[in-house]
Amino acid sequence: MIKRFSAALLAATLAGGPYDITLLPTPSAPAAQGTARLVSAPSPFGIAVSPDGHARYDIVLRITGLPAPSTLGAYHAYVAWAVTPDLKDWTRLGVVSNGDSHVGVAQYNKFLLVVTAEATADPTERGGPTVLHGTSPSGWLQTFLAHPFFRGAPGK
Amino acid sequence: MKTGILAVLVFAAGTLAAQQPDTGMANMPGMGPAMPIPMPRGMVMMPGLVGLTPPVTRFVPGAGHDLSSLPAAKPMTPVSLQAGDTLDLTATMVRRTIHGHSFVGYGFNGEVPGPVLRIPQGATIAVRFHNNIDLPSSIHWHGIRLDNRFDGVPGLTQRTLAPGDTLTYLVHAPDAGIFWYHPHEREDIQQALGLAGGILVESRDSAYYAPVNQEQVLVLSDLLINGDTLIPYGKETPDFALMGRVGNVLLVNGVPDYRLSVHQGDVVRFFLINASSSRTYNLSFGGAPIKVVAGDVSRFEREAWVESVLIGPAERYVVEVRFPRAGTYQMLNAVQTINHFVGEYQPEVDTLGVVTADSAQASPDLSASFTTLRANADVSKEIDRYRAAMSREPDKRLTLTMATHGLALPTVQFMSIDTAYFAPVEWSDAMPDMNWLSTADQVSWELRDDATGKKNMDIDWHVPVGSLVKVRIFNDNKSFHPMQHPIHLHGQRMLVVARDGVRTTDFVWKDTILIPVGSTVDLLVDASNPGAWMMHCHIAEHLGAGMMAVMHVDNK
Repeated sequence: MIKRFSAALLAATLAGGPYDITLLPTPSAPAAQGTARLVSAPSPFGIAVSPDGHARYDIVLRITGLPAPSTLGAYHAYVAWAVTPDLKDWTRLGVVSNGDSHVGVAQYNKFLLVVTAEATADPTERGGPTVLHGTSPSGWLQTFLAHPFFRGAPGK
Repeated sequence: MKTGILAVLVFAAGTLAAQQPDTGMANMPGMGPAMPIPMPRGMVMMPGLVGLTPPVTRFVPGAGHDLSSLPAAKPMTPVSLQAGDTLDLTATMVRRTIHGHSFVGYGFNGEVPGPVLRIPQGATIAVRFHNNIDLPSSIHWHGIRLDNRFDGVPGLTQRTLAPGDTLTYLVHAPDAGIFWYHPHEREDIQQALGLAGGILVESRDSAYYAPVNQEQVLVLSDLLINGDTLIPYGKETPDFALMGRVGNVLLVNGVPDYRLSVHQGDVVRFFLINASSSRTYNLSFGGAPIKVVAGDVSRFEREAWVESVLIGPAERYVVEVRFPRAGTYQMLNAVQTINHFVGEYQPEVDTLGVVTADSAQASPDLSASFTTLRANADVSKEIDRYRAAMSREPDKRLTLTMATHGLALPTVQFMSIDTAYFAPVEWSDAMPDMNWLSTADQVSWELRDDATGKKNMDIDWHVPVGSLVKVRIFNDNKSFHPMQHPIHLHGQRMLVVARDGVRTTDFVWKDTILIPVGSTVDLLVDASNPGAWMMHCHIAEHLGAGMMAVMHVDNK
């Protein structure tokens, strides 16, 4: 599904970006894979933020390997969601499919990008199985406590 | 901070400090004892850095002067000038008082910020600048496409003006809009301490802007203060070289408690200037509707509604705001900062001022015109001449990067393990201890010409006058400490034609472009003004750490 700014944004996806999200498959769709490209949403200032300072990103997903949703059950569409890390807040971004899909704007500090199979194209809340998921690069921020372990320090 | 985290930090930092080679960070002659740096709420100074000070001699202005003998800084006033007029502008030391604490600052004609110069478009005025401060100085006329001889860059377009020296600038103002003036010598000290002022160039066209009930010039700035003490500056070279000095006291027109009175329904045109060394603002007006009208050097092709105004150092925006009901409207800077200790974002909100709308009705009532977004056909028509060049391959490519040498070992270690993620914009200084200790002798911020590999002042671009130069700038997110950079080109104007491959759809002429971490920005420079022109990052400490080059616009 291609929305506004699609041509320019899709061109922009070709080069990749510093804030890309790698999408990982789940057992529901093991052949699926993808990337989400985050580009600052349109703004007269060149960079888009909300009044409280959250970055606003336009998101384009490039996906391959999704089976027909109906192969997973009574589902007819795949829907992308921006989700807070505690899984409490789910914002529907839009319908996605294999190929390039421009799904709209997310404005969380850290968020998960989740694709689910759904019975309709416009569900108000998640209902079906997850097929792809990824973490915004800001999610890589960790407490300093974690860094020594990531660098190979022993656990005790 | 959790006890466990602190314990790890104390252990790690203590170990690192024990390993620290002689970095010259402490006890240098003239530095005096270590002093604490104010840390953000909820954060402590890194244990391994406690007791260190930047390897520079501390400088605060006015050494040997009795503070009480200095005149109190005066608020800025408008000065209307006509073509051919001469203005005497004197930089002096003043006594600034903020939150009840007084310290030595600088002012133009005793005012902080300096007087707002109102000039008719197309006029040429003379400004006799007298440098009566205790540092060499100059004046740069930011954004104004004037004669290169008067651009105010010591060592490039003029001699350095020693204390007591005088120089007359001829300032020709071809473009309408909001511009500003500031020294181009140790901006990290002089601009930060008050030497900045607005220039309002009034259009020949009386309908250039929509009608408003009043106009206000707002100069945004910040100061770094610890209790009642101004954090000293580096005498030989700037400190805070990593991020620039981000103040913890936010000021509008030089004061922390800006107030404006309006009538309900009034439409106010704000001419916004970010005169801060490093801070980028996200400014809103208590929910009042905001219309963005113009940028650095022109109006937008089409006006737009915005919820807040994002303005980087040295940028300007013209916005119109309507205060629909009686009451108070808080001017907020609201951002999301990163707490690096716990790896989390946290909101940071500062009240810059308050607009109070009384119950009297706006007169005239401009609500109808305010709801209209104007399309400026003349702006679009002029830009039409440039559209064919927008899609061509870049003529020049720059990468923004940096190098460090001799930083305190704890700084190096902690920064090297904190590189998992860099935000597109660092809104405030979350690690001021590390930042404070870094000087321009240890940090090199770099403009790198991709074609030649040359850096900073070794770059030697020559372009013919009248040419259009497409420049692609990439802000390298893989460098040791990437950060956003407001890139300013003197004496010319330019268009952002694309960001990260996304073409611009509403153009405005600019002279300063904020480039976030990891972004690629395509610029089209209208090289119409001959001379040798600086191109640099406008974070004052990044400029002091070398991030500058020269573009020569050669006469045919």
